[in-house]
Amino acid sequence: MATNPMHQFNVYRIGPQIKIDQIDISFTNASLFMIISCISILLIFNLGSSKRNIIPNKVQLLTELSYTFISKMISDTAGSKGKPYFGFVFSLFMFVLFCNMLGMLPYAFTVTSHIIVTFVLAAFIFIGVTVIGFTKHGFGYLKLFIPSGVPIVLLPLIVVIEIISYLSRPISLSVRLFANMMAGHTMMKVFGGFVISLGIVGGWLPLSFSVALTGLEILVAFLQAYVFAILTCIYLNDALNLHH
Amino acid sequence: MTNNKFKTRLEIAKKRISKRATKSNDNKSSLLGVAFKISTELVAAVLVGTIIGFIFDNWFGTKPWLILTFFFVGVIAGVLNVIKSAKNMQN
Repeated sequence: MATNPMHQFNVYRIGPQIKIDQIDISFTNASLFMIISCISILLIFNLGSSKRNIIPNKVQLLTELSYTFISKMISDTAGSKGKPYFGFVFSLFMFVLFCNMLGMLPYAFTVTSHIIVTFVLAAFIFIGVTVIGFTKHGFGYLKLFIPSGVPIVLLPLIVVIEIISYLSRPISLSVRLFANMMAGHTMMKVFGGFVISLGIVGGWLPLSFSVALTGLEILVAFLQAYVFAILTCIYLNDALNLHH
Repeated sequence: MTNNKFKTRLEIAKKRISKRATKSNDNKSSLLGVAFKISTELVAAVLVGTIIGFIFDNWFGTKPWLILTFFFVGVIAGVLNVIKSAKNMQN
């Protein structure tokens, strides 16, 4: 049963089945962990921002550090025009980070190891950025597909290539997060299985591997959230400041 | 008089801070992030090109040809993406 390394990714229903017109919207373990991560974000940040001491305690320090971290990330990549989108990027980063980190707990479910979750996030970013680009620049946003200094003969091919690379953004964004999370968690499970099957004599080597992998996975969990947020900033920058 | 002095000192301090901010830009975690970014960018463009070719083939009924051409266009787009992000890294 639990020796199957892919077993941890199973989505199952909790409570009654709810159906609206063939669409199953029952409460699952995935929705449970999304709610848990949202609640823990709200708790930590409310706790951290309620007191406002001059000398911060640990929780306040954490919230203030994460605030400056994201605001610096936005001003570095998208400039001062990116400031209004701080709230969106911050909540996106925190949601992905908490989903990844909660998935590191034993018996927890990793929401971001399912491509549909990451793809919905990425598609939302993609559509949002495209809408922002068209509202800010009108049809001038289409200049994004026409790089400067290209001979007329090559233009049709270049435009097709640019459109493909623009459309590949949500795919690369979602596949990166999903693949990293799924591969890491599968690997940890496989090494954990080795520990059991090799027993007390030979199990020490995979056990030490498992410990090392846990550290690596925590790094990857943070890094993938960071990459997700910074790429959102980069795409925002493309939409806000057209320079081609 | 003292007000002016203070203003110049403030200007100098501000300049120093902005210099430091640009210097600390290239920390290690962001470089690792770029490495992750480049690897998937290549694959994603090929995937998107192939999917577009497949859809167009079904529309126009030209079974193998459009998927082949769009596959290669996707490869070109992927390589160009990688070159673009590598150039951004150098700046």
